[in-house]
Amino acid sequence: MSRKRVLTARSLRRLEGTLFIAPWVIGFIAFLGFPLLFSLYMSFHTVKILPNKVAYDFVGLKFYREIILNSSALYDKLIPYFQEVVLMVPVIVIFALMISILLNQKLYGRFLFRAIFFLPVIFSTGAVLLQFINQGEGNLGFLERFELGGYLDTFLGDSSWAKPVKEVLNHFVLVLWYSGVQILIFLAGLQTISTSAYESARIDGATPWEVFWKITLPAMSPFILLNLIYTVVDMFTFPSNPVIELVNTGNYGFNSALAWIYFFIIIIFLGLVILIYSIMNRRHAKNYV
Amino acid sequence: MRTILSDVKGRRFLTKRRIRQARNLVLGKEINQGLVFKLILYAVLIITSYIYMNPMLKMLVKMVMNVKDLVDPTVTWVPSSIYLGHVAEAWKLLNYENSLMISLFIAVSVAVLHCISCGLAGYALARLDVPFKRTIFFLLMLAFIIPPQVIILPTIMVYTKLGLNGHLITLILPSIFGFGVKGALFVVIFRQFFMTHSKSLEEAARIDGATALKFYFRVMFPLARPAILVVFLFSFVWTWNDTYYPRMFLSPTGDMPLAMKMTFIDTALGQFIQNGGFPEYMAEPIKMGASFLTILPPVLIYLFAQRYFIESVERTGLVE
Repeated sequence: MSRKRVLTARSLRRLEGTLFIAPWVIGFIAFLGFPLLFSLYMSFHTVKILPNKVAYDFVGLKFYREIILNSSALYDKLIPYFQEVVLMVPVIVIFALMISILLNQKLYGRFLFRAIFFLPVIFSTGAVLLQFINQGEGNLGFLERFELGGYLDTFLGDSSWAKPVKEVLNHFVLVLWYSGVQILIFLAGLQTISTSAYESARIDGATPWEVFWKITLPAMSPFILLNLIYTVVDMFTFPSNPVIELVNTGNYGFNSALAWIYFFIIIIFLGLVILIYSIMNRRHAKNYV
Repeated sequence: MRTILSDVKGRRFLTKRRIRQARNLVLGKEINQGLVFKLILYAVLIITSYIYMNPMLKMLVKMVMNVKDLVDPTVTWVPSSIYLGHVAEAWKLLNYENSLMISLFIAVSVAVLHCISCGLAGYALARLDVPFKRTIFFLLMLAFIIPPQVIILPTIMVYTKLGLNGHLITLILPSIFGFGVKGALFVVIFRQFFMTHSKSLEEAARIDGATALKFYFRVMFPLARPAILVVFLFSFVWTWNDTYYPRMFLSPTGDMPLAMKMTFIDTALGQFIQNGGFPEYMAEPIKMGASFLTILPPVLIYLFAQRYFIESVERTGLVE
């Protein structure tokens, strides 16, 4: 009791705050901070696991050089996967935006449709999805029906995009399954637009098309950014992500370097998303003025 | 003469009004109110949800087809009879009762721990006077975007050193501190929820001399019911569905949760077929049955909690 009296009210409150956040900070150090730095350390070393100890030999940038100069892991697996991600992210976000706008209409049975579009979040477990992908479920069926494959071949030719495009089309429905949470976020976002904005636009004689571009879309833009980032993060554990297979306990040093390169690409990716977003936003703001 | 004229005018006026009424009914005063719009909307939604759910429906159908239907190309949607043999086979392969209990144990403990630990952190970030708050918030964002693949190898090494590798507790341990599958996201959800609450309650409690911890568990935590429901459900479902951490941490022969057991079905069935256990076309329905058994419990929970869940998402202020 006597100790408490010494503390001022402000430092007491600081103490409380520290107490509340302490478990999380300890967890961060133990489960993220330390492993993160340690894997960076390992990526510069050859790691040998001996019966009673682990030996680290410094090799500098050897693994990074190996991976970037010529490795099938990076060029045959990671890069094509990232090309797929480039295609999947906009598909998911645009699909989610469209569905959420439809579901935001006054509609009988809205709850049922909402439940349907959210269901995949409940059951998209890696193994089950992989099962579907392997059996070719989840393609829209139009690749064969309209012989689209041929058109694609002539259009994309031998470019490195041919395979990712086909890959995405082949499990298109399963890609859409990754939009459940995004739909939820957009729906909650649509609730924040006041009805008076729509009413005044209507009185001014705006067409629905204009209303979408001038009211709905700008109001949704923070949620679009949120969803873009969420989708990129969500793709970490997409079942066809090759990193899941590649980073294993086979070669600690090499695989740590690979994981860091992967992390680096993702940071660049997110940086680009945020950059594009801010440029678009600024351009839009200019148009308004 | 005048009366006739006005009569005609009146009639014309009436028909005009009737036409307008009819038009309003069909096309609507606004574009999103008329019948035509509604019909198009329904058509689009129904077609999209059909495409969306197609793999699922196919799974359900394939699962209950008997051997005759499987080889018969004319049977695509309606099986001649409902045959549960495949599901029974999948049940046996999954060691269902055992794996189900393990999955339930892990998912429920992780979800409960997430609600407590992430709630504390979220409340602190939203309301309390935390030193280095901005840095901690930055670390939280970092935690959200760090791919699990970057940190998995050192974690495995530490677990091995502690003698925990292969133990089920490795999957639960991070959630005590608010980590584990998408832990950072749950902290953000709680933070957003507490941010929207008015400060008057806390001020009253402070005047009454309640400590923050007591106040939090007596008042704020019970008030956070919508956020708790959302976090619990997401955490449960994602932990249930996660195959990455179990695959890295658990041994391939020991106890394992359902979602991970699913990944071993392929190899088990492949061996069975090679040994002449049954023809190859039998493998697919068994896999489908196993998928069905794996996703059934979370789907049941969702169907039960669905109404409260969507309400809660709107009330958590997740997006404000």
